[in-house]
Amino acid sequence: MQESVTETKNNFKKGFKEGLPIALGYFPVAFACGVTANKAGLTLWLNQLMSCLTYTGSGILAILNLIQGGEVFLFTYALTLFVVNCRYILFSLALAQRLDRNMGTLQRMIFSFFNTDEIFAIVTQQKGDLKAPYLFGVATLPYISWAIGTLAGCLFTDIMPISVSTAMGIIVYAMFTAIIVPAVKTSKPVLCVVAISVFLSIILECIPAVKQMLSSGWIIIICTIIASSIGAVLFPVNDEEDQ
Amino acid sequence: MNYSKLLIIIFICALVMYLLRMLPLVFCKGKIKNKFLQSFLTYVPYAVLTSMTIPEVFSCTPNFLACTLGFGTAVLLAYFGQGLLTVALSSTAVVFVIGQLVEHFKF
Repeated sequence: MQESVTETKNNFKKGFKEGLPIALGYFPVAFACGVTANKAGLTLWLNQLMSCLTYTGSGILAILNLIQGGEVFLFTYALTLFVVNCRYILFSLALAQRLDRNMGTLQRMIFSFFNTDEIFAIVTQQKGDLKAPYLFGVATLPYISWAIGTLAGCLFTDIMPISVSTAMGIIVYAMFTAIIVPAVKTSKPVLCVVAISVFLSIILECIPAVKQMLSSGWIIIICTIIASSIGAVLFPVNDEEDQ
Repeated sequence: MNYSKLLIIIFICALVMYLLRMLPLVFCKGKIKNKFLQSFLTYVPYAVLTSMTIPEVFSCTPNFLACTLGFGTAVLLAYFGQGLLTVALSSTAVVFVIGQLVEHFKF
């Protein structure tokens, strides 16, 4: 019993540390969201409520865009958010395959709230089943950073030098790169899937007609489904492998 | 827009967001046996991250050159085994420096 408590602690600590780079990356994004919310006319309290309850950068920017445009139909908000973020269905489906069997419904319900792009990206790099303490460890710092960041953005809209916050725009993409590149280096199937995604994404984003019809949320979904399907047909994974 | 309307909007958005994340995680507990689906879901993370990064990374700041060099830095450092934090901060530094240079000398 004592041993399992130690193990739980260690798992949490391991995850906690892995959350640090994500937390650093979130701060500028959250700050930007806070600034935008402030400029869109949301009060400090509404801004904080929105950012802490929805916990999505891209989603909030889309919502603020609608609010500023004076959109009145609630359905439009729900649909926009769904389109911008329906990749989370894929995330959660993929993650569900990797969770420790002992993780109960309540723990799943709580963790799912914290499952963002970056957290999903980090935890799926782990080998073997994902344990609850580890997952909650990873989730801790990014959420705190997110909440403080949106608050800071709303309070100090004009304080952060534009040159710094602009440069920080690349952090999230650099993190994604740091996850993709090592996997591409060691696995031919992943190289193939990534190459197809790059190709499709560029093609779809560069055709004006497509760009007019589909938001980038849909383009991401389409690329993901096609590239992963081709990967699955060409390189089926073995059951024995833990990936 | 009035206060209560904004509150309703926020709660609806929170609900949509939560259901998107929660439903598949809670209701797909069993391991999927289908080989295609298994493989498909294994490749999803890489496909998603790639299509979110490209081509957006090239326009993540107003300066194309800075974005490209920052992205190049990230790829190189990641290729040579550097960790997440090193990669993230180095490429931000590169974007910052190039952005400043370009602004200063008006390339």
